[in-house]
Amino acid sequence: MKLSRKEQAESARNGDQTHLWEGVGKWEIVWTAETGQPRARPAFQDDLHRLRRYILPGSSMTSRDRPLDRSLYGSTTLRAPAPRAAALLRLRGFHSCYRSEKTNTKIPALLPGDHEISINPLHGSRSSISRFILNEENISLIPDTPEILNLSADFSTSTIHIKWNDKGSVFPHHSDVIWQIKILRKKKMEIVTLMTHNTTLNGKDTVHQWSWTSDMPLECVTHFVRMRCYVDDLHFSGHKEWSDWSPVKNISWSPDYQPKVIPKDKVILVGSDITVCCIIQEKVISAQFGKEMCSLIHLDGENVAIKIYNVSVSPTSGTNVVFTTDTNMVGTVIFAGYPPDIPQKLNCETRDLKEIICTWNPGRPTGLLGPHDTNYTLFENFSGQNVKRAEDTTNVNYQLFFQMIPNREIYNFTLKAHNPLGQSESTVLVNITERVYPHTPTSFKVKDINSTAVTLSWHLPGSFAKINLLCQIEITKSNSVQELQNVTVKGLENSSYLITVGKLSPYTNYTFRIRCSTETFWKWSSWTIEKQHLTTEAIPSKGPDTWREWSSDGRNLIIYWKPLPINEANGRILSYNVSCSSDEETQSLSEIPDRQHKAEIQLDKNDYIISVVAKNSVGSSPPSKIASMEIPNAPIVAPNFTVEDTSADSILVKWEDIPVEELRGFLRGYLFYFGKGERGTSKMRGLGSDRSDIKIKNITDISQKTLKIADLQGKTSYHLVLRAYTDGGIGPEKSMYVVTKENSVGLIIAILIPVAVAVIVGVVTSILCYRKREWIKETFYPDIPNPENCKALQFQKSVCEGNSALKTLEMNPCTPNNVEVLETRSVVPKIEDTEIISPVAEHPEDSSEAEPENHVVVSYCPPIIEEEIPNPVADEAGGTSQVIYIDVQSMYQPQAKPEEQENDSVGGSGYKPQMHLPVTSTVEDMTAEDDLDHTAGYRPQANVNTWNLVSPDSPRSTDSNSEIVSFGSPCSINSRQFLLPPKDEDSPKSSGGGWSFTNFFQNKPND
Amino acid sequence: MNELIGKQDDELGADLWFPLPAPLCLLTLLLPPLSPAAPISPAEPISQAYSLALYMQKNTSALLQTYLQYQGSPFSDPGFSAPELQLSSLPSAAISFKIWHALEDGERLNRAQGAFLALTQHLQLVGDDQTDLNPDSPILLAQLGAARLRAQGLLGNMAAIMTALGLPIPPEEDTLGLVPFGASAFERKCRGYVVTREYGHWTDRAVRDLALLKTKYPE
Repeated sequence: MKLSRKEQAESARNGDQTHLWEGVGKWEIVWTAETGQPRARPAFQDDLHRLRRYILPGSSMTSRDRPLDRSLYGSTTLRAPAPRAAALLRLRGFHSCYRSEKTNTKIPALLPGDHEISINPLHGSRSSISRFILNEENISLIPDTPEILNLSADFSTSTIHIKWNDKGSVFPHHSDVIWQIKILRKKKMEIVTLMTHNTTLNGKDTVHQWSWTSDMPLECVTHFVRMRCYVDDLHFSGHKEWSDWSPVKNISWSPDYQPKVIPKDKVILVGSDITVCCIIQEKVISAQFGKEMCSLIHLDGENVAIKIYNVSVSPTSGTNVVFTTDTNMVGTVIFAGYPPDIPQKLNCETRDLKEIICTWNPGRPTGLLGPHDTNYTLFENFSGQNVKRAEDTTNVNYQLFFQMIPNREIYNFTLKAHNPLGQSESTVLVNITERVYPHTPTSFKVKDINSTAVTLSWHLPGSFAKINLLCQIEITKSNSVQELQNVTVKGLENSSYLITVGKLSPYTNYTFRIRCSTETFWKWSSWTIEKQHLTTEAIPSKGPDTWREWSSDGRNLIIYWKPLPINEANGRILSYNVSCSSDEETQSLSEIPDRQHKAEIQLDKNDYIISVVAKNSVGSSPPSKIASMEIPNAPIVAPNFTVEDTSADSILVKWEDIPVEELRGFLRGYLFYFGKGERGTSKMRGLGSDRSDIKIKNITDISQKTLKIADLQGKTSYHLVLRAYTDGGIGPEKSMYVVTKENSVGLIIAILIPVAVAVIVGVVTSILCYRKREWIKETFYPDIPNPENCKALQFQKSVCEGNSALKTLEMNPCTPNNVEVLETRSVVPKIEDTEIISPVAEHPEDSSEAEPENHVVVSYCPPIIEEEIPNPVADEAGGTSQVIYIDVQSMYQPQAKPEEQENDSVGGSGYKPQMHLPVTSTVEDMTAEDDLDHTAGYRPQANVNTWNLVSPDSPRSTDSNSEIVSFGSPCSINSRQFLLPPKDEDSPKSSGGGWSFTNFFQNKPND
Repeated sequence: MNELIGKQDDELGADLWFPLPAPLCLLTLLLPPLSPAAPISPAEPISQAYSLALYMQKNTSALLQTYLQYQGSPFSDPGFSAPELQLSSLPSAAISFKIWHALEDGERLNRAQGAFLALTQHLQLVGDDQTDLNPDSPILLAQLGAARLRAQGLLGNMAAIMTALGLPIPPEEDTLGLVPFGASAFERKCRGYVVTREYGHWTDRAVRDLALLKTKYPE
């Protein structure tokens, strides 16, 4: 049971037996005699302070669980009920007695353990004595209700400040105190937050202050504050409780007019949260932050608020917050941005050592402009001076100017940046003489000293008297060579500077420009504008290159000279002087104007020294001298030539002029050599013109620059050489190897023709063979009858009687014997006609193998062969010899020509078949004896024995020999038809006689 | 004050292809004792004023759009309109047609002149406001400045008409009164909106005023 002081007094009046113990220091103890548990609270009442303090005699220093200063808790108050105003309170444990006229009294703090307390009325019956047992553990410690001394608010920061007194003086020693502060909002007192705050009681009354920042502007709604406390007294063993809540205090605000939106023009950090409220009488329909609609938080009345989380950076004119009602729109603007970044690249330099310019990069944009833009202030820490950037600087130009302090070189600058969200700074320490960035030099001028030197002058503003300047001169010569010269000059005070530039070329266009820095280089100034300057003329440094030539009639000497190059002319050449001097006389031509580079002087052919002098406005060149009779030299280089085009049979060559300097004379022409040759072979090393395979072309037309060499072989390497020559001789050679292209057409023809011929021959042969197959068969593979059956063997009886029963006789209808032929001479000339073109004409070219066959074949028809012989003779030797042969009709050749004899040994002659027959045998190394045998054996066509002997017995007989043998059958020999050929030209074919198949070839050309 | 107008008109002549005679007319206005007694035909100044009003009319909507574009949402939202916003210091151009038509020429001109006088002062205020709010938007600032100069030019033309018609020229007065310097950024934005909007409305009305005068005083 807890009673306030009033209630205690009340109960006391009502006669309840109440024990009041007071103090933590003084304990107030309240009790009822019958039921109540005694309670204690610190005694703050003034009346209790008057109570005497009781120091326990012989305090129990040995107590284990009590601090030694237990007694310092002081006295305890005991209150008696009012009706018994005078009472005697006896504390048994203390053996003390307290007399009180009032209803309470104080007693010292209790020692551990139970204490029996009896209250005896001074004037009353003994029965009214009340007794009870009191122990500290039964006492509750309830701090007095705290009171807020002061509650104030800072509306701009939405912060509430609370002040209160801890009344620590009533506690005799240090204790921890926990304060609980409750913030409530709206008329309905909705709890916003409950916070705790710890302090320590130090025995004195201390005023504490505590602040709280609201997320919602304090203007938006009334805020209430109350608090309570809890004393955590370590020395008290009883029950500890929170005090009662203090009475509420509130913070409220009423606008001067409505509607009003709060906060106004607030600058906040990007990413933070903000609450905006609208104090209004009308009902708000919607609210939006920028483009996004927000949900309304209803406050007292029609007032509303919105909460915006994680605000993003605002546009330049801020982010609008708009509350819309049926008839109005109200709002405010939020500027969300960043605090200023640390100024970056802070750099301080001077252009004239009078004023320091500090520049920097602001870093990250703050997102805030206008009144919220960042302010920059530049402090110089040594001097304490500072400069501020003009606030109306609308151009984004981050620089500040600081006037230099005389005789100061070292500066320590701090640049401070500040905006509503924060500030930052950056510092730089500079030796300003090392940070000179001079202005661009002005009044830059060039003046002549002489033809190879000029002075440059310029003006440079600035106080450079204490330092040296380093300047760089760029000298550009006639738009070609660029040269940089560095010069160091002593610095001056706002002065002009002068330097000399030498080693220039006379009469040359120069472009000068200059820039400056300091010796302790920091930055170059900008270049000055370029100044063009033409240096003055000097005398030409050498005479012109000179040639001379005798005129065609030999009377005049023509002198040529080359214009001087500009670097030697040293000016504009106005004229030339030419003089020819010998021992006796001197001729001179003067003032020959420029442009004319030739002079003609009539001289006899003596030795003269010719000198040519070039003159410009300054003077004459040294003379260049040559002798009149000097022999021109040969060119020292060969003309460059290239092969423009090649074909199978031609090469097109093109060459270039030889430069005049290397020609060393007057070009008379070119010599062009060409011949077969491969690279690496030294075939034409000597270039002997006598070599038959090297052709030379002399090109005297010096304007000719190309040459086409024709009639070459395809796919052949040619060696080409070109040389130039002057009167002084032939220059060196330039050679080249060129391979002509392959003649593809010729190659194709060369392949195609033989193939075509071979095919045609094959086809014709095949056709003929087919047509004559019977004949061939008969000729080469005749059915050889059994000699036993052959009636021809009995020809002695009836050979020519035409017995048809005999096959052999059928096959060889020409049964007539050759014996009879000798008698029929009239036939011969006809045969001669038909066979004139017999193989004989071509035989010398033909293969020797075919030849003997012919002869052999012929040999079996002796009369025909005889007629054949004269044919070749008729071609060359005329018909007389022909006649002779025919007349003779002899097997032997009496008039063998020497050629024939030679040919005989070769075996190529078909002129004398009779002789030949043995010759063909000798082809196979027949002996002379064999020849004789054969010749001897020729006649025996009738002689069976001979015939029999030749073929089988001859060990060397060839196939053709065996054929011969077969031809030499008695049947064919006896053939009469053969000996009587038809008179037609085609008789050989129709006759089908003893001619070999080689006739086909022989006939063919005739066809 | 007369000097001020003259100076401003010179600026106008330099900035715009404003009809050259306007400053001359104004000069005659400024120096009434020197001007010949012969009455000037009202047709010419009416025609000039009408031309200027037509030219202004072409640019008013661009000015309003530019202005809103720089104020952020919801001002810059398409179709933004807040007719409920008004400025007590600026007379509204809205008038019933019947009343307008029944007005006498002098009264009609008087009202227009009063409105444009107020507009020039308000446009100056809005220009200053925007220098704070949109310092990085030279286009907006230039358009506001141009609009102010045109309004002043039209004022001069109207004065010339009134002189030609023999009407008394109303004295210039400070329509703005005490400037609410502490106005919030939002109030400034709204104020600028009302001014640029009313500038358009008053220009439209001036075109009608002058067209009516033109028919009454043909050339």
